[in-house]
Amino acid sequence: MGADVSRRRALAAAGLLLLGALLASGWLEARVQEPAQASLKPAADAPPGPDKPAAARPAKEQMAVNVILAWVWLSIAVLLGLLRMRVREADRVHRMGLHRAGEGSPGPGH
Amino acid sequence: MKALRAWIEDRLGLRPVAALLAKKEVPCHKHTVLYYTGSSILFFLGIQIVTGVLLALYYQPTLAEANASVVRIMTEMPLGWLIRSVHSWSATFMIALVFVHLLGIAFTKAYRKPREATWLTGVLLLGSSLAFGFTGYLLPWDELSLAATKVGTDLPKALPVIGTWLTRVLRAGDDVTGDTLARFFIAHVSVLPLALLAVLGVHVFLVQRHGMSVPLEAERDKVKLPWLPFWPNFLLREAGVWLVLLGVLLTVAVFLAPGIGPQADLMAPAPEGIKPEWYFLFMFQTLKLFPARILGLNGEMIAVMIMMAGMAAVLLLPFIDNRPFERKGKVITGLAWAGLAYALGMSIWGLM
Repeated sequence: MGADVSRRRALAAAGLLLLGALLASGWLEARVQEPAQASLKPAADAPPGPDKPAAARPAKEQMAVNVILAWVWLSIAVLLGLLRMRVREADRVHRMGLHRAGEGSPGPGH
Repeated sequence: MKALRAWIEDRLGLRPVAALLAKKEVPCHKHTVLYYTGSSILFFLGIQIVTGVLLALYYQPTLAEANASVVRIMTEMPLGWLIRSVHSWSATFMIALVFVHLLGIAFTKAYRKPREATWLTGVLLLGSSLAFGFTGYLLPWDELSLAATKVGTDLPKALPVIGTWLTRVLRAGDDVTGDTLARFFIAHVSVLPLALLAVLGVHVFLVQRHGMSVPLEAERDKVKLPWLPFWPNFLLREAGVWLVLLGVLLTVAVFLAPGIGPQADLMAPAPEGIKPEWYFLFMFQTLKLFPARILGLNGEMIAVMIMMAGMAAVLLLPFIDNRPFERKGKVITGLAWAGLAYALGMSIWGLM
C-alpha cells in the first residue's frame, strides 16, 4: 500500500516536472520566435555568401535551446529513475517466479 | 478503458502478439549488449521518419529552390535548424549502429544456420541505409554535395557492360543535373523507405522466428543460459537506453549543427577537398590509392570490382562460412578484424 502511494507520488512529480519543462520551453520559444524571425529575414533574402552560417540563431534562441536541453536532460534523469524502479520490481517478480505463475516452471533468474 | 481494449481486440485480434511478447525470452550473457543495438537502430529510424517528414514539408526539390529552401528551413522555420541537425545526426548514429550490429553478428557467428536469411536481410538494410545517406547528401544542393554526387555516380561507369547505363539511371542523364536531384529526392523519400520497411519487416519476423542467438560456447555445451522476460524486464531496459540516446542525440544536434554551403553551380569546377560522408570515406580513400592503369587495365575498374567482390562476400558470408554453429571460425574472425582495421585506417587517412 505504502509502495503504491510512493509510486503514485513519484509519477505525479515526474508528470509535473515534464509539464513544467513543456510550459517553460513553450514560453521561451514564443518569447524568442518573433524577434528571431524578424532579424533573420533580411539575411535570407541576401545573395548567398561563401559560407552561410550553420545555424543562424540569435543569442536569445541559443539561450532558450540550452535551457530546453537542460530540461530534457533533467526529464531523462527523472524518467531513468522511474524506469530503474520498474526494472527492479520486474526483476524481483521474475526471480520469485511469479512472472509465469500460470505457465509452469519459472526461469532460472539472476 | 476496458471497453476500448475489448473494441480493439475484437477488430485487430492482437492477443497472439501479446502472448508472443509475454513468452519471449532474452538470454543473458557477455554479448547481451548487442541486443540493444537492434532496437536502438529502430529508435533512430523512427526519429529519421518524423524529422524527415517535417523537413519534407518545407523542402523543394528543384534546381532553383533546393538550396534556398534548406536555408529557409535553417533560418526562418521555428527550430528548423535543430530538426535538420537531428535528422542528420540520427542518420549518422543509425548507420554507426548498423555497422556495430552487423560486426557483432559477424564476430559471434550468429549468421550461421538457421539465421542465413536474417543476415541477408540485415546486409540489405545496411545497403539501404547507405543509399539513404548517399541520396540525402545531394538534397541541400550545395557545391560539396554536387561534387560528391558527381564522384559517387561516376563510379559505376568503371564497370564493364552495364557501367554507363547504371550511371545514366542514377543521374537521370549523362550528368548530375536538376533531374538527378528530383530522382534522388524521390528515392530518398519514397522508394528507399518502402524498400527499407519491407526488408525490415522480414528481418524482424526472422529474428522472432529463430529467436536470439547465444554465444558459441553455450550452444556447444547445450547450456541453458539465464534469461529475462522480454516484457517488461528487457523492454524497460531498452527504454532507458533510448532515453540516454535521445539526450545524446539532442545535445550533439544542438552543439554541432551541420552547415550548408553556397548553392551548387553546374558549370563551376569541383571545389577543393571534396569528401564524402564518413561511412564512404574508406572506399573513397581506396579509390584514390589505385593508379589509373594496372597491367594495361583501367585501375578504377579494378578497384570497383574488388569493392563489389568484398560486398558480395559480406552478403554471402553465411554461405561461405556454413560450418556448424558451434565451430569457432577463427579465419572469419581474423578477416572481420582485418576488414574493420582496414576500414578504420582508411577512414582516418581520408579525414586527414
